[in-house]
Amino acid sequence: MNSKLNLNKLKKFLSYFILVFFALINLYPIFWMVMNSFKTEQQISINSFSLPSSLMLSNYFKAWHAVSLGRSFLNSFIVSGLAVIITVALGSLAAYFISRFEFTGKKIIYSLFIFGLLVPIHGTLVPIFIMMRKLGLVNTRLSLILPYVAFNLPLTIFILSSFMKSLPRAVEEAAIVDGAGYLRIFWSIILPMTRPALATVSILNFVYNWNEFSFALVLINDQKLMTLPLSLSLFSGQFSTDYGMQMAGLSMALVPIIAIYLLMEDQLVKGMSAGAVKG
Amino acid sequence: MNNIKNNFIIMMIFALIVVCSGAVLAEDTVELKMWHAWTGQDAFAKEVLLPKIEEFQKNNPNIKLKIQVIPNDNYRTKLRTQAAGGQIPDIMQTYPGSEVQPLVEAGMLMPLDDIINYWTDDLIAKETLKAYTFNNKVYAIPAKVNYTHFAFYNKDMLQEAGYDKWPATYQEFKKMADKLKENDIVPISLGNKAKWVLQSVYFSTIADRVAGADFLDKVLAGEKKFTDPEFIKALNIIKELADNDYFNKDANSLNDMEMRQAFYQKRAAIFFGGAWDIGGVIENAKEQNMNVGIATFPSIVGAKSPQALSGVTGSAFSIRAGLSEAQQAAAFKFLKFFYSEETYTDLLRTGSFVPAQVPLPDDISPQFQSVINLVNEHQIAPVYDAVLPLDLIQIINNGLQSLTAGQMTAEELAQQMQDNL
Amino acid sequence: MDHIYKHRKKLIYFGILPALLLYLAFVIIPILISARYSLVEWNGFSAPKFVGLNNYADLFKNSIFWRSLKNNLIVVFASVLGQVPIGFLLALLVNQKIKGQHFFRTIIFMPVVISAVIISLVWSMVFNYNFGLLNNLLKFVGLGSFIQNWLSNPDIAMFSVAAVIIWQFVGLYFIIFLAALQTVPNDVLEAAEIDGAQGWKRTLYITLPLVKDTILAAIVLCISGSLKTFALIYVMTNGGPSHATEVMAIHMYDNSFNAMKFGYGSAVSIFIVIFGIVLVTIVRQLFARFED
Repeated sequence: MNSKLNLNKLKKFLSYFILVFFALINLYPIFWMVMNSFKTEQQISINSFSLPSSLMLSNYFKAWHAVSLGRSFLNSFIVSGLAVIITVALGSLAAYFISRFEFTGKKIIYSLFIFGLLVPIHGTLVPIFIMMRKLGLVNTRLSLILPYVAFNLPLTIFILSSFMKSLPRAVEEAAIVDGAGYLRIFWSIILPMTRPALATVSILNFVYNWNEFSFALVLINDQKLMTLPLSLSLFSGQFSTDYGMQMAGLSMALVPIIAIYLLMEDQLVKGMSAGAVKG
Repeated sequence: MNNIKNNFIIMMIFALIVVCSGAVLAEDTVELKMWHAWTGQDAFAKEVLLPKIEEFQKNNPNIKLKIQVIPNDNYRTKLRTQAAGGQIPDIMQTYPGSEVQPLVEAGMLMPLDDIINYWTDDLIAKETLKAYTFNNKVYAIPAKVNYTHFAFYNKDMLQEAGYDKWPATYQEFKKMADKLKENDIVPISLGNKAKWVLQSVYFSTIADRVAGADFLDKVLAGEKKFTDPEFIKALNIIKELADNDYFNKDANSLNDMEMRQAFYQKRAAIFFGGAWDIGGVIENAKEQNMNVGIATFPSIVGAKSPQALSGVTGSAFSIRAGLSEAQQAAAFKFLKFFYSEETYTDLLRTGSFVPAQVPLPDDISPQFQSVINLVNEHQIAPVYDAVLPLDLIQIINNGLQSLTAGQMTAEELAQQMQDNL
Repeated sequence: MDHIYKHRKKLIYFGILPALLLYLAFVIIPILISARYSLVEWNGFSAPKFVGLNNYADLFKNSIFWRSLKNNLIVVFASVLGQVPIGFLLALLVNQKIKGQHFFRTIIFMPVVISAVIISLVWSMVFNYNFGLLNNLLKFVGLGSFIQNWLSNPDIAMFSVAAVIIWQFVGLYFIIFLAALQTVPNDVLEAAEIDGAQGWKRTLYITLPLVKDTILAAIVLCISGSLKTFALIYVMTNGGPSHATEVMAIHMYDNSFNAMKFGYGSAVSIFIVIFGIVLVTIVRQLFARFED
């Protein structure tokens, strides 16, 4: 008994050791970024390791106004948010049918979606620009939302369907016997049970959209529609970069994404216990 | 969250104003879409070019400039993608030589024949516009001359090594560098991660000097070859600097900020940079009480153009072909205003070199005056990446990295360049 | 069981159609257009000239391309062997009853969302030859002979970069596994909790089969993500020194947008896709065989 207890303690200790180790490594870049956001350009160019002499906030104010960050935040929220909602809605529906039903062409459709995981974004920039131009969509938010949704669907469907596949069929069967329709089953049984995976794909979708640069660079021609990554890139000139403002801007850009993560992550671990069935 | 709400309200009001004013002004306003890469960090842009654009808009309420700023690193990707899709803005910043050439060849730009005399009569020598001239037609007007090669050195460190002057010859330079190494000081701080630094800052000047300022033109015309001994000799100087450990060991993985940081932290005695570094160096040196000297590469035995200094014109605007008459008139008006004598004089004041022959203002700083004197001792010679075809730029940029990393010999690189010509 | 569903075909297709259409329009059609570009010589401005399979011939003759493929495979292996197990381990650790669960769950994911610019700057300083953390640490613990020029030495740079990639994306697999672990009945995990180290092993044996679908999914994601890897390397080393860290996506980008050889660049894109299909198919076959 005693040795078991010790082993347990050792296990706990090891767990904490590993986790704290990771936490430290992961925190440092954020710490470094925030630290430098409080420094003047000169302080950074002379030494980017030193601690800031004071909690100077001027970089934050300057960054906020210099490239209209408020507007870009709003744009990014609209584009990323809508794209996530559409992707997860369409993706979960498709994943439901792909994972829980048999039908002709299922394998082909599923493989086709997986194929999309492999398409490199830069290879599609020119074709997508030309398509958007023909559709008259260049320089609209829709021109970003559409490719964001399309490029995130494979990942979304892939993760959701592999998750849905592993759900037990028992509850569903009971519901069918009770006469529930398929959409009803999807909505009130499958979706709640899939909650952890839904949270996961929402986070991943949001992260990708929030940081996406190439499509936004090519498809948006109006300062008023610029998303955050575009605005944040404006702190670099041809020959010099305003690192202080850049760090301040990047620090601010991190806040919403952490907030979204915290929000979703709760759902992620609530999962089963909060769902329709208890394990 | 409040901010977002406020911003939303502001945006709604703004949209309303735009819609209303649009309706009123629609009839006689001309709209021009403009792209440029001046994000406002560089002094010349912040203090001269951007205010100039604003001033133009204020003076010409009937010409509406719809401006998009795209940072330099991404400007080409955006322009090339949209051009491939058949769409470019009405006025756009273009880069010299092989970068603007495909746009010209595709007939997407308008030659400035009708108004070129405004500049060539007495402001800018025609020769200076060479990088934007194709078939005798000029397609852009530049605002600046970017000299790409200066040596910035810490006078105190050199003194400690026994040199109270910048060495006159390359031989002497090497002795000095060895001495610095003995004192545990990195002789030259280099950050060549972006790959263009060795080519643009170092090699262009060294090669122009060793092989002659007209060497590159002759190679492109087929009269000379990259495999000729003078070119290989120039490559070998770069290789020698690396082989002798004059650079910091991690030169190929540092960026330019890290490169300068090593200099300011007194870990290195020298760094080579362009005219764009002058302002920052003068400022930081003052702050740090550093004694900084500015020079160019020491003289090399047997050099064909010993006074060559690489430089290229830049910050140029081109106009799209196929504008309406009213748009064209507006665009011309803008160019004339933007590239005026006054602009060039203002640029000189911020420490930029200009392609125009304008009198030096009296109030330029003594430091910049001394750099001007230094430049006047030299003759401008081409920067390689403004003249070479695009794929050769890739080859030489990567090749110089390979050369310094010991992955390639000078002969191999020269051969590869010749093969791809 | 499945036979109950069969008569509802229309509904099924109706449910999949919206996703499928969007996906076809904005992923499949563009890549097909790109496939067409791969058969022409085109600088983006001039009229495209049909050259058949010449771009592919150039590709296979280009030693830099082969190097980029090799570098890419290093990333694939490092990611599959690094990110997936570490992500799984961390998910198991955080899924126990421990203090600061919330904090750890958040902080482990953070590198995924930090800007590549910051990651690159910070890790460059860790790897810095003279005053970097890593070399100083090695010196400090008496392993001075292991000191390396981590990013500037062409023989090592790719491994240094791969290490950062592993670190950056562990969080991604971490949350995928964390979600999967929520389907494992609590009593399995609790039993392990009480039994100590032996239970730890048991968790692994009981849990692994329960999340095997997710593991396969993670590996497939890992392979596809690694084959497309671009942003971090681009800002961290720009593919250098001397092509040492150039991966296929960078090779494609440089050729398309810097050298303006859109035809050649498109050929690289298509190669990435085809190569990826082959790799993914192999992995799925292996898994299927393993299950039997």
